Amino acid sequence: MDKRLEPLLPYVQKPARYTNGELNAVHKEWADQITKVALAFPDIYDVGMGNLGFKILYEIINARPDALAERAYAPWLDMQQLMEERGIPLTVLESGRDLVEFDFVGFTLQHELSHTNIIKMMDLAGIPRFSHERGEEHPFIIAGGPCAYNVEPLADFFDFVVLGEGEEVINEILDLYAASRKSKGDKADFLRKVARLEGVYVPSFYTPVYTDDGMYAGLEPVEEGVPSKIRKRVLADMNTVPIPEEFVVPYVDAVHDRAMVEIMRGCSRGCRFCQAGMIYRPVRERDPELLKETLRKLVAATGYDEISLSSLSSGDYSQIGTLVTDLIAEFGPCGVGVSLPSLRLDSFGVELAEEIQKTRKTGLTFAPEAGTQRLRDVINKNVSDEDLKQVVQGAFSAGWYSIKLYFMIGLPTETEEDLDGIARLAHQVLQWGRKYGTGQRLPQVSVSVSSFVPKPHTPFQWMGQNTMEELREKQKYLKKALRHPGIRFNYPRVEESFVEAVFARGDRRLGPVLARAVDLGCQFDSWTDCFQFELWMQAFSDCGIDPHWYAQRTREFGETLPWDHLDPGLEKEFLLYEWQRALRGEPTPDCRWDYCSDCGVCPNLLVDIALAGGEA
Amino acid sequence: MGSIIRFRFSVGSEVRFLSHLDLLRTLERALRRTGLPIAHTEGFNPRPKMSFGFALPVGVMSWAEYGDFEFNEKVSPHAFETLYNEHLPQGFRVLAAETLPEGTPALMSVINAARYQIYIPGGSAAEVKERVDWLKQVDTFVIERQTKKGVRKVNLRPLLLEVGPISPVGGGVEITTLSSLGKQGNLRIDELGQLLDFPYRDAVITRTAQLIMDGEEFREPMEIGVRDE
Repeated sequence: MDKRLEPLLPYVQKPARYTNGELNAVHKEWADQITKVALAFPDIYDVGMGNLGFKILYEIINARPDALAERAYAPWLDMQQLMEERGIPLTVLESGRDLVEFDFVGFTLQHELSHTNIIKMMDLAGIPRFSHERGEEHPFIIAGGPCAYNVEPLADFFDFVVLGEGEEVINEILDLYAASRKSKGDKADFLRKVARLEGVYVPSFYTPVYTDDGMYAGLEPVEEGVPSKIRKRVLADMNTVPIPEEFVVPYVDAVHDRAMVEIMRGCSRGCRFCQAGMIYRPVRERDPELLKETLRKLVAATGYDEISLSSLSSGDYSQIGTLVTDLIAEFGPCGVGVSLPSLRLDSFGVELAEEIQKTRKTGLTFAPEAGTQRLRDVINKNVSDEDLKQVVQGAFSAGWYSIKLYFMIGLPTETEEDLDGIARLAHQVLQWGRKYGTGQRLPQVSVSVSSFVPKPHTPFQWMGQNTMEELREKQKYLKKALRHPGIRFNYPRVEESFVEAVFARGDRRLGPVLARAVDLGCQFDSWTDCFQFELWMQAFSDCGIDPHWYAQRTREFGETLPWDHLDPGLEKEFLLYEWQRALRGEPTPDCRWDYCSDCGVCPNLLVDIALAGGEA
Repeated sequence: MGSIIRFRFSVGSEVRFLSHLDLLRTLERALRRTGLPIAHTEGFNPRPKMSFGFALPVGVMSWAEYGDFEFNEKVSPHAFETLYNEHLPQGFRVLAAETLPEGTPALMSVINAARYQIYIPGGSAAEVKERVDWLKQVDTFVIERQTKKGVRKVNLRPLLLEVGPISPVGGGVEITTLSSLGKQGNLRIDELGQLLDFPYRDAVITRTAQLIMDGEEFREPMEIGVRDE
């Protein structure tokens, strides 16, 4: 336990977030020649502990004899205040050392509304925010994760950024660093070398160009020999990289606190709004025997009572039925249940639900995303009303009573009919619940409606977001249409979706806005109670930035986009073609089971779809 | 044939900030790691059959926490103690284990008192003595207790049963107290601080006993079992 923090612990909420000493935490000796990496999560411990990417990197780095990894999380506001009052800097859990003592501080970029926390954590650690302000005495501040695919708003804060899957490139970076230390190279020398690794982006080696009328016109290299495009890293074979088997087990109640195993990576359903479905291609499944073996070790090492089969769309795993049956047969008698997050309507058999329900009852969530077949065709969510009917009726008959439905508003071509469709579906599901429900409780339908945020590297990347007024109107309309006993309606604030949209497609001119927002007091923006829209608007105005230009402007197809150099392997022509098909309401099938849709990923990255069944 | 094992365990400084639920989850996971044949409840959501004494206040250490675990097979208390200690995280330690005879009442239904050892940094023995002398002369010390159902007036005075030796240690004072714990009356640690007028958050507190008090007789929960090895 950190001696400086210990006296503060009786005065904060959930003090066990800060106490360290969890089971399986790795405490390595701080030898001189060892490379020290702090894995920094820009949210509180309870949220960060659920992140699988962090666990992967933690195990890989700590498995190396020449490196160590320790963890740091954003302290909650009560702790921050006490630390600031007493001049205690942000420390890591394992050794209690200051972040500034590390060679690397690696942040994960999970979503746009966690950007301010990254800057706040650097402030708390006493590390200068901007890369040009840091010297030899400071760690490299690096990052990876989904938001790396448009990291431009944060470009000036990081020394380098890793694009894509980290299992292999982390070792390459550490090898390179060890060599650079041996040859007594300075930071600039290392940056030049690391920039040559595939998947590594050094923002300071490029300078942005803008036209006279303020349009972004691309990046110009200022360093010789740097690539014009940074291509993401991708694993060819998911079965040959390390899978975490010794999770650090948190004491406090944390999210996804269970034995999680990634059964596959990538999703080629091709939902046109979904960034994850585009940037994690292609689909690569893991061998079911390997998964079972991993789970045996994981459960033995942690004592978890729940197994979670994680992926973007677990119901699509080609061996899902036998895998679930086998796991339940093996682990059920020991009181260990199985859960499947992110199931799709069409792939989710009621049989599978019943199978899982035998040991544990989890909530059932479905995401039709849009209220009408027409709009679902536009977004390529290939789910029909008939699918929904069968699955929901089956679920109610099997004893479920609570169904959660996810939708979006503000999708391209949306009309009032589509909103009516959301309400109609919700009422329909409730009716089915009343007719077919065999559960002991009254049927409950919970409807979550988020506002669509256009994301880079998707077919909708050019589209302007609905204005806040439009989105508010739509929410109001739905609120009225969904006011009914048995139906619960949730929706996030439109202001949050607006700020998210600004940074999702922002350029480097937004860096100062982030810094200003932190100065004004913005942090924990994804926590609705902490999100302060007035401060955000002030930050934009103080920096002379019009946020609407970023969020709501529809881009020209020929425009240079701030993320054009960050390359997940997709062809821009494919995205454009998908946009045109969207407007015509033409669905595109999944390339796992149908023809290749020419997205470009496999030939560009020299990888292939890999299914556990062996086909495709 | 199954068996129930009652055990006493300690909670050390490094894990004293766990909430009660955190602690239960930790013990349950450690038990699962032992691979011992723990019994489960029936139904859709089977839970391991385990029960405990009263919640340890957050920030307080203990030498005297208790648990009862039910197994599907006969498990020797000695083997349990050794194996469980191997799997408990640092800061937890089983100090004693016994097989429980059938029909032994649950911990929560019999424990009714707790002893605390309290070190108050910067506290003065004279001031504590004065406070205790004053408390001996009063019958009531009413405070407002925040409960789930709202604010309730509670007389704390009868819940403090005894204050033991008061000794100056280092730069402060150490005292031991005996107070009510459980369903018939419960003195919380912050209320103990109010009664004896010390800042409970800054104090170093250890629960040294949970007791079954019957008139003048005190029993320790482990005494119910019969050693059968």
